[in-house]
Amino acid sequence: MTTLLWTIFHVLVFPGLLFCVVVGLLLAGLDRKLVARMQNRVGPPLLQPWYDFLKCCGKETIIPRHARRGLFLAAPVLGFAALITAALFIPVFSYSVYSTSADLVVILYLLTVVGVSMIVGAAASGSPFAGVGLSREMVAMISYELPFVLVMLAVGRMAGVGTPLGVTFSLQAIVDWQAANGNLLFHWSMIPAALAMLFVIPCEIGMHPFDIAEAETEICEGTLAEYSGPPAGLFRLTHCVKMYVMCALFCVLFLGGISTGYAALDALVMVVLSVVLTFVTMSVPHAVCARFKVEQVFKFYWTVVAGLALISLILVWLGL
Amino acid sequence: MFQRMIDKSMAKSPWIFHINAGSCNGCDIELVSVLTPRYDAERLGFRLTGTPRQADIVVVSGPVTSQTKDRLVRTLAQVPEPRVVVSLGSCPRSGNVFKGSYCVDGPLEKYTHVDVSVGGCTPKPEAIMAALAKASEILAEKRKEMRQA
Repeated sequence: MTTLLWTIFHVLVFPGLLFCVVVGLLLAGLDRKLVARMQNRVGPPLLQPWYDFLKCCGKETIIPRHARRGLFLAAPVLGFAALITAALFIPVFSYSVYSTSADLVVILYLLTVVGVSMIVGAAASGSPFAGVGLSREMVAMISYELPFVLVMLAVGRMAGVGTPLGVTFSLQAIVDWQAANGNLLFHWSMIPAALAMLFVIPCEIGMHPFDIAEAETEICEGTLAEYSGPPAGLFRLTHCVKMYVMCALFCVLFLGGISTGYAALDALVMVVLSVVLTFVTMSVPHAVCARFKVEQVFKFYWTVVAGLALISLILVWLGL
Repeated sequence: MFQRMIDKSMAKSPWIFHINAGSCNGCDIELVSVLTPRYDAERLGFRLTGTPRQADIVVVSGPVTSQTKDRLVRTLAQVPEPRVVVSLGSCPRSGNVFKGSYCVDGPLEKYTHVDVSVGGCTPKPEAIMAALAKASEILAEKRKEMRQA
């Protein structure tokens, strides 16, 4: 009975739904506020993403005549559910709920499901703007997946040298290794991988300089072109929660060893680090850069970012 | 309680969709200037959206030419309820200097109910801000009416 209650608590409250949504909305609000301050504006209130979500819940849902009704409405729910499930596998430093032998692979696939659900929803809406958007979303996914996997391989090799396989994909093992041997961010051979991961974060989320799929000035919000009302709100919420999930993943992969031993304090440290990461990886590029072209994103990720990740991978494999 | 929270956030997050119905671009530039750092409409939650499906406030500028009339009607039909229509400048109100032209099918009132109208050629950004703030109030009222109906 208590295990069942604990499971419900884990899924709905602490590393799961409530915590993710609250922190995600906070990060999104902070991002908008920070960008506004950097542009010398007052900016929207901190709770603006929350108001946006609520407002979308109060609007009419229009289903276009050419849309596949079931798929069109299921896609945002599927994406959101996959993202929350991914969040359950990410330990809040030492506090891990569902640690398996290969959580990293599970997370990689679940994050892909989030992107794919957006593509499926766009395809089901039957709009040409969404069609252009989904093809761009695919290009973005292909761009960041390669460096993302290379970073994971480098981290897995570094933390799994002593294991029988020589490589580990268990986040718990990676966190334990860092607690014993120091954070991966401060091992010189891992610094290029950490930089690559910092570049992967905004593209994975679809933040401003890399938001080629949702280019609202060119292709009418792209993948979201036909969405209105609660489904559109759910897509926006997924976007906010993804900000937290990616930041948390970076913290665990590269700063996993700074556990304090108390779950509540760990969660607080995680939130603070996520705010810092949001500022560095999302707000500053948003305020400074204009949107990249589709082929520029692809080229940048497969040369510079993948190159950085590859350097780390080679250094780690050579045992440095 | 959830419904009441939605009611409250309705006025705090109005997303704007802009339709150019044959405008000379003057009002369009002034509308964009409302969103720039100097006037910063985002502090009231305004955001320019690219698709009519996610719009709350539809801003129409221009005297409604015969070329744009059908597109205007079709685009307005795609905006989900509750929605507010704002006419920007003198053109959609009266036709302005284009009144009587063979290619002008205005005013805007013939095709839709206009909730807020800003006069001027072009209106000042302050006036546009005031109109948008008024429009977001009307939006919240419409939502309340919709819920009670």
